Amino acid sequence: MSKGRRPGVADEPPPLLGRWPRLYAAVLAWLAVLIALFYLFTRTYNR
Amino acid sequence: MLSQSGRDAATAASTAACPAAGAAYQRMFDCRCLTVAAARVSKRYAERHTGRRLASQPCRVREPRQRNRTGSDNLRPPAAFTALAHRRATPMRPLDWFVLTASLVFIVAYGLWRGRHSDTVNKYLLAGRTMPWYAMALSIMATQASAITFISTTGQAYADGMRFVQFYFGLPVAMVLLSMTAVPMFHRAGVYTAYEYLEQRFDAKTRALVSTIFLISRGLGVSIALYAPAIVLSVIFGWPDRVTTVIMGVLVMTYTIAGGIQAVTWTDFQQMLIMFAGLCTALFFTLWMLPPEVSLQGALTVAGAAGRLNPVVWSTNLNDPYNVLNGLFGGMFLALAYFGTDQSQVQRYLTGRSIAQSRLGLLFNGAAKVPVQFLILFTGAMVFVFYVWQPPPVLFDAAKLNALRGRQDFAAIEQRYHAAFEDRRQAATDLVERRDQPSRERFRQAHQRFEAVRSQATTLAGARDTNYIFLEFVTNYLPAGVVGLIMAAIFAAAMSTISAEVNSLATVSVIDIYKRHIRTQASDRHYLNASRLATLFWGVYAIVTAQYGSNLGSLIEAVNRIGSLFYGSMLGVFVLAFFFPRATAAGAFIGVLAGQAVVFSAARFTSIAFLWYNVLGCAVVMGVALAVSALRRPERRPPASR
Repeated sequence: MSKGRRPGVADEPPPLLGRWPRLYAAVLAWLAVLIALFYLFTRTYNR
Repeated sequence: MLSQSGRDAATAASTAACPAAGAAYQRMFDCRCLTVAAARVSKRYAERHTGRRLASQPCRVREPRQRNRTGSDNLRPPAAFTALAHRRATPMRPLDWFVLTASLVFIVAYGLWRGRHSDTVNKYLLAGRTMPWYAMALSIMATQASAITFISTTGQAYADGMRFVQFYFGLPVAMVLLSMTAVPMFHRAGVYTAYEYLEQRFDAKTRALVSTIFLISRGLGVSIALYAPAIVLSVIFGWPDRVTTVIMGVLVMTYTIAGGIQAVTWTDFQQMLIMFAGLCTALFFTLWMLPPEVSLQGALTVAGAAGRLNPVVWSTNLNDPYNVLNGLFGGMFLALAYFGTDQSQVQRYLTGRSIAQSRLGLLFNGAAKVPVQFLILFTGAMVFVFYVWQPPPVLFDAAKLNALRGRQDFAAIEQRYHAAFEDRRQAATDLVERRDQPSRERFRQAHQRFEAVRSQATTLAGARDTNYIFLEFVTNYLPAGVVGLIMAAIFAAAMSTISAEVNSLATVSVIDIYKRHIRTQASDRHYLNASRLATLFWGVYAIVTAQYGSNLGSLIEAVNRIGSLFYGSMLGVFVLAFFFPRATAAGAFIGVLAGQAVVFSAARFTSIAFLWYNVLGCAVVMGVALAVSALRRPERRPPASR
């Protein structure tokens, strides 16, 4: 039923930005941009 | 609304282009019983048919007025334009039924077709590990976005503002961490469940303990996931929750038992698209139906003055679950636990055809989740603005409202409510016109008085009605076809979550309990049948326990509260397994027990925000496990059970 351990499973590069750490950094940078935009939104309207 | 010259031009133009529309338009003004939304429809219709731009200017509707079910003044436009104008007697019309039925039939048929080759355990539970990243990404999002997301989150924004979005700030961070750690480890271990990995790393009893914790926590969660769409049916048909719960459960079970995870994942993909379409349509119509004198800027000003536009709250208050600090750290731990240790999510990315595909699925979810959640909450905030000018019912739960009818104390509350509504509406109109600090302050005070009266009504009813707000709005104000689409979106959300959760519960029951401890040697066909039976069992369980959903208040919060009671300990044991080679099986087992004891005690005896239960549970498990591991001699791990 189970195929068991698969130590040979390949770790391919991502289709964007070449390396996984860069893609991780892009996701975190996107989060920082969103929080900054939400902060501006709050300051503008929630007075 | 239109000026006199604009009205005349519109009437003439629309009569020339389409006699029926022109006549209806004229009749509306003749009768002087026009709502702002109906006027806007008519004006746009006339403009579209004539190609001429018609003048418009703000004005107030004065008469005639009729009493609506809240008892307050309401306007009644001609039947031709009632779709966008006021409450309807029958929320679902033929076109809505067609859209809803067609969507449900398509989803079920598509799921059955996609799952027709699920004839082995590997295909039934893991789709043969063949899924591409985009299918996993939308499946992960669809599984997380249940009907509760539509029903309760929008209601939460109406009642409490948008600060709930901060709850998701930690999610992208968690997706990155899991892509770096759990995804490659689970893939290389070749496991069916996350808990199978724990036996490879620790021992059978740790695996059994954590599997049991999962079954309890997810078993409670699936009940709520089933109860939420049952509310929808209850509102539409006027049937009791219990009946609608059974109907919904049977519908989902039929499709889930036959399809397996292959069907679940691919239907999730379709369901997520339907959900997104429904969400965008709901937001569009919410904005479109605001009075003409209320621009988007005006709507934002009113929502902001009422404290509804607060997606970022800087605070260090640990008792408040929704601020940036708690969202980033508490939310990250909750997301780590949910996506890293909850089989209903782990199973999504175990179906990936490679590590890279699974990572991409998680990272896409990390990037898209916060904006999507913002969109849902923003829709709820705009529904709030809509009800500043359109009288909301005293209670959104029609059943509770009817039960209180005729009581003296409730009649007194209703009178004060209508007066408070009129006062707030006037203050909001002034705020939109002037947009200065005094008018903002006056609106805020009027809103507080209004909220205080509504609070008396909900106290009298004995239950919160947050979960009914969005439904009341959709079924009473949106046009034919759109109601059906949004209902289809709510059903799609519910089906994706329930099917995935039941599927994961069945997987853990069969792989971690039945196959590991009860029937260790049997054919693939036997375990396939056992998986189908287990799916049936959990479906029946969900239907039975969903009967108690009405006692849980805001459903979205209830789901996360229940999850947080268990996730911390589960996360702690996986962190030990991944990063602490010195941690022993005995340490992990005792640590999990200690973690659960401390979290339950914190929930019972302290008032800290539930998001911190995850941090607390994880820390206790790790601390106790490492201490026990240091005190006891290293054990020989038994050979991994397959």
